[in-house]
Amino acid sequence: MERLGSQAMTEKTNTPPRRLRFEIFRFNPEVPESTPYMQSFEIDETPYMSLFIALNEIRERQDPSLQFDFSCRSAICGSCGMMVNGRPALGCRTLTADLPDTIRLHPLPVFKLIGDLSVDTGTWFREMAEQTEAWIHAREAFDPDAQEERMDDDLAEQIYERDRCIECGCCIASCGVANINPDFVAPAGLNRIARFMMDPRDSRDATDWFEVVSNDNGVFGCLGMMACHDICPKELPLLDVYAYLRRKALAARFSG
Amino acid sequence: MTDDTLNVRAEEARSQLVYELISGASGLCLAVFMWGHMVLVGSILFGARGFDWLAGGLEDYYIAQPTVIFIIVLFLVHAVFASRKIPAQLRERKQMIRLARDLRESGSSRPVPGSDYVPFRPHVESMLWIWQVRTGMVILVLGSFHLVLLGLDVFTPMFGMHRGIESATTLARVSGGLWPLYAVLLLCVEFHAGVGLYRLAVKWGVGARLSRAALWKIEHVLFWIILGLGILTLVVLAGWLDPPLAFLLEAAP
Repeated sequence: MERLGSQAMTEKTNTPPRRLRFEIFRFNPEVPESTPYMQSFEIDETPYMSLFIALNEIRERQDPSLQFDFSCRSAICGSCGMMVNGRPALGCRTLTADLPDTIRLHPLPVFKLIGDLSVDTGTWFREMAEQTEAWIHAREAFDPDAQEERMDDDLAEQIYERDRCIECGCCIASCGVANINPDFVAPAGLNRIARFMMDPRDSRDATDWFEVVSNDNGVFGCLGMMACHDICPKELPLLDVYAYLRRKALAARFSG
Repeated sequence: MTDDTLNVRAEEARSQLVYELISGASGLCLAVFMWGHMVLVGSILFGARGFDWLAGGLEDYYIAQPTVIFIIVLFLVHAVFASRKIPAQLRERKQMIRLARDLRESGSSRPVPGSDYVPFRPHVESMLWIWQVRTGMVILVLGSFHLVLLGLDVFTPMFGMHRGIESATTLARVSGGLWPLYAVLLLCVEFHAGVGLYRLAVKWGVGARLSRAALWKIEHVLFWIILGLGILTLVVLAGWLDPPLAFLLEAAP
């Protein structure tokens, strides 16, 4: 894969750095008299510049009031999701070299806006976790002296594959349904359901799950637009998750 | 939570599953029927004789009549159940369209001109869903018109010389000015059915055995073959081209 394609080209030909124009959504809901607007900033591109680097440069040198979230800078904390030219992406792993001269940044939709590019994904994920009861419903009381039950390697890997979700919220922002139906558990929620459904330690059976999954806020709310799968920064196989949930719902209904 | 609420939730979940199955299965049946339909109408490529022979045969053995009724019912059932997911508010539709368009455009960007390198995974399926709704609306209107005409052909002697489908009536209709209507219907149906089958396959996980890329390719090949056949048929029906295979039946008694 020719990653950093245009970056390599710039270095080879020794051309002067690109002048990048950032159009950034500005709004502070804390200030009652303020209204949303787009503000432009210009900076010179540096080699291997990510949006994280670019936004920090803007905040340090041009506007200290600019709000955005970052923490780990390595696509694992899930704080820096934002709309980059209309596509949800992580700011830390999106390189300016892959983007045109003008870069449009918006906060992720669906979530509560904190200010400018910063949104509150935590509340949304907590509500989703409560709605789907995203925790192990233990069969029996925990016995600290008992030996842990063995789990098949394949199954452990399947569960881990669902657990790789970093809760950045990009899939939710890209989902047409999540954008208009606040009760939809959305891609990350369906992924979470599948994770606990697979877990043999969870006591919920097919009938319990059936009521959660088989409705418009569950997997049948999904229209199959597939955007979540295509934009997921962790490249989670989300389409497999929905197919799994659909087939489980079908099996739960017709197996008694 | 009381037992009553649990029952209501379970009941609701069962209906939702049934709705989903009805909308998918009716779509699948209609899409498969459309391929068969293409073969039936395509008989005009063998000339009026081939077309009338096939139509007459299907009517004489009472295959055409129940099929017409079944398809009309399926058409309406699919319209009701597939449309239950279309957002009602214009504001919601606009939001979906804007999102779908942005996703498509950002997925087609190539930062290095002339290079194959794409930084973002291409994504057109959101926009294809919007187009499925649009083509669905067109099919509901034009398809109803077509089904009414065909129902009258099959069950009444209102058009043509006798009761039943006749090549002369069909040719006169298409060449007499209805061809743009049928051309739009053809394009919408093939698009709607092709994308619908692809989406259905991905939704229920046929992709576990066939990759999404493979399904995408199959959908494309089918779309172009059926559309090509459809256009050829329409051109013959409009009278711009003589039936290319008519010579095969000329020698027949």
